[in-house]
Amino acid sequence: MQWHSRTGRIAVSAMFAALALIFSYIEAILPLSTGIPGVKLGIANLVVILALYNMNFRYAMGINVIRILVAGLLFNGLFGALYSLAGGVVSLTVMWLLKKTGLFSMAGVSMAGGVAHNMGQLLVASALVSNLKMFVYLPVLMFSGIAAGILIGIIASVVNERVPKDMFAK
Amino acid sequence: MKKIFKKADFVLLAVLILIGIALSAVSVLSASSGAKAVVTVDGEIYGAYSLSDDQEITVERDGHTNKITIKDGSAQMTYSTCKNQVCVETGAISKTNESIVCLPNRVMVEIEGGEGGYDAVA
Repeated sequence: MQWHSRTGRIAVSAMFAALALIFSYIEAILPLSTGIPGVKLGIANLVVILALYNMNFRYAMGINVIRILVAGLLFNGLFGALYSLAGGVVSLTVMWLLKKTGLFSMAGVSMAGGVAHNMGQLLVASALVSNLKMFVYLPVLMFSGIAAGILIGIIASVVNERVPKDMFAK
Repeated sequence: MKKIFKKADFVLLAVLILIGIALSAVSVLSASSGAKAVVTVDGEIYGAYSLSDDQEITVERDGHTNKITIKDGSAQMTYSTCKNQVCVETGAISKTNESIVCLPNRVMVEIEGGEGGYDAVA
């Protein structure tokens, strides 16, 4: 099966990016607004975690960045994409490092990713409006990150058992 | 079927929850009711408005418009031309550590205490 390794991975990446984008859209139209900026489920992260576990960090990052930029253009506005991007990059890097330790399950990795995502966003947000007072949102974002991360992580580990592994040509 | 959680996950969860509780304690303890709403645009102070006077403040900058309404001692972003409307959904604020942020329009409303604000804490 040598012939389709690289091409296959690119095709799967594109498909994953499209899937992540759809999840972003679903999230954008779901009437789940809590009134607190930054508190959301992060359904698209499901796809990113699966990519991280089944492909590698580089592919997962590619999928993530494409998803955020396109979602920014389509739904949230590019300004919003700026801080999504910070959250996404910080979150994925943390998840990658935790996964490398081998100590944590997918749910644990996802939980840390959820928290890291919110922290990254908050850092950029406070830098943009140049005010550290925004850190009053920290506890709320911390707990919502934990809850959303665990939930998405559990779903990801259940889905991961059922994803056909030969899809990710090595 | 693999186990969904590992031991290290619970340790991490406990650590994160403890940090969260510590942060909440800090923010709850440092809160007191404020005296004025300070509006900042692009990092520069636009104006300070007393919370005891009911009023409506209109902020216009680079084609963006935000309206802030002060009523019954609290401030609320009642209108914004931004796309995500997060600022409008934030609701009313009245405590010193609260703020409303409209990132797309770079408008921020913060509550500040008046003179003698520290007496209540001390």
